[in-house]
Amino acid sequence: MIRDITLGQYYQTNSVLHRLDPRVKLVGTMVYIVSLFMGTTIPVYLGAAIFLGILIAISKVPVKFMMRGLKSILYILIFSVVFHLFLTPGTPVITIGKFAITQEGAQLAAFMIVRLMLLIIGSSLLTLTTTPNSLTDGLEKGLHVLTYVKVPVHSIAMMMSIALRFIPILIEETDKIMKAQMARGADFDHGNLIKRAKAMVPLLVPLFISAFRRANDLAMAMEARCYHGAKGRTRMKPLRYKKKDFLAYLVLIAYFACILFLRRF
Amino acid sequence: MSLIVDNISYSYEIESGISKNAISNVSFTVEQGEFIGLIGHTGSGKSTLIQHLNGLIRATSGSIYYEGQDIYDEKFDMKKLRSHVGLVFQYPEHQLFETDIFKDVCFGPLNQGLSQKDAEYRAFEALRQVHLPENLYYQSPFDLSGGQKRRVAIAGVLAMKPDVLILDEPTAGLDPKGRDEILDHIASLREELGITIILVSHSMEDVAEYVSRIMVMNHGHLVYDDEPKKVFAAYQELETMGLAAPQVTYLMHELNAQGISVPSDVTTVKEATKVLADLLTQSEKSSTSKR
Repeated sequence: MIRDITLGQYYQTNSVLHRLDPRVKLVGTMVYIVSLFMGTTIPVYLGAAIFLGILIAISKVPVKFMMRGLKSILYILIFSVVFHLFLTPGTPVITIGKFAITQEGAQLAAFMIVRLMLLIIGSSLLTLTTTPNSLTDGLEKGLHVLTYVKVPVHSIAMMMSIALRFIPILIEETDKIMKAQMARGADFDHGNLIKRAKAMVPLLVPLFISAFRRANDLAMAMEARCYHGAKGRTRMKPLRYKKKDFLAYLVLIAYFACILFLRRF
Repeated sequence: MSLIVDNISYSYEIESGISKNAISNVSFTVEQGEFIGLIGHTGSGKSTLIQHLNGLIRATSGSIYYEGQDIYDEKFDMKKLRSHVGLVFQYPEHQLFETDIFKDVCFGPLNQGLSQKDAEYRAFEALRQVHLPENLYYQSPFDLSGGQKRRVAIAGVLAMKPDVLILDEPTAGLDPKGRDEILDHIASLREELGITIILVSHSMEDVAEYVSRIMVMNHGHLVYDDEPKKVFAAYQELETMGLAAPQVTYLMHELNAQGISVPSDVTTVKEATKVLADLLTQSEKSSTSKR
């Protein structure tokens, strides 16, 4: 059923990676993504893959969960492979009709697959080891500088965490309303596109109303507990860098230096 | 015989590889015209069970027969089953979506494939059956009070003319007046239309007052299926399941414990009033005769 959709796919376990400051992990992910675009040579990708492999081992998250993220980009992978295979000019290896697979194309396609896979696995490592809440906390603290240029960082972070919090609730609600309308004979799976779009009205209207009702209730509950935005707000568990976080930054710098070095080959 | 549930179980996966039984090995039959109360604490599987009865959830094992037909048969028309077995979910007012009440109630009949005219007639009938004031028919459903909204939602299912009407906690969140009104309407519906009613409830008082048969769910098992007096006689067992007997039953037990002999199988306030009134007149008589 619809409940099977997993968003914010946090995997609960206890590892060094889980306990790291979310800011480190955010920066780390960004550094990793940048590193993947540093060069299209075998040594660079080998280095990146090994680094990721070590991180996965440290994270104690089963590899199966990492692979789940790949499923969602399967079609993008296939598309990009096909395009690169056939549309890269160079020396042809196999010719099918007008199209030709070139040597350069094959190479580029292979690099593309590896890059995309590392990209997805690398970023899902972030969401697998960080709860959505600490992620938004990390973002809020990390982007705090922007408050000086009048960006409402706190509000944005609060909105994000509320949105994330409400995703499972709204999914459940959708499931319930769907069933209730199905009990009244509604049909969501059959008919042409227009018919199906029309069938969504009895689902979407109650869903929106319930979302507004929940938002209203939540706003009231927050105000009842004296929430008034960022000003003067303190945290129960303020984010503070610890020794292991600085060590992690050092590892990151070392990793990036390695990649820069590997680029030369 | 209208509905036979034969040894159904339903399990779902909580994590990959680990599954949990929401209901296990439940069997019962429902005869036309019965008024059944289904009780059980939160998470006992009663909501899951009733969703099986109109095919919204498919049992992992076991089978369900409606009018002698296996509902899991490939040729069986689920949509037809859903119009025969009407299910009113908890907080049904949350599913209202149309611009006016009348249109919303028409939704079910139109889905059944009725013409606009027939659907409107059905809607009109259903709205009368739930005693909604006629001047409200063309108002937005969102302008109504909670109890009225709920009645509209129930009418939305009634308009499909079900043979079996299942209501999941129809009184949740209503004030005492709204609660009594809804339950009275439901009871009179059964008498007028002869439909079967299954009432899921937390309130032992509600159940005791209206139903003729009680089913008790606990941890996914059907543990009792009997007439109210017999089920409530086992009030101590019910308590271990997070349930209870009606308050008057406790009163009777307490009186018995104090040495005042009263029948202990009293379950409704009405009965209790009669028993206690009789007791008072008796004791008055005996005290005057003593003098």
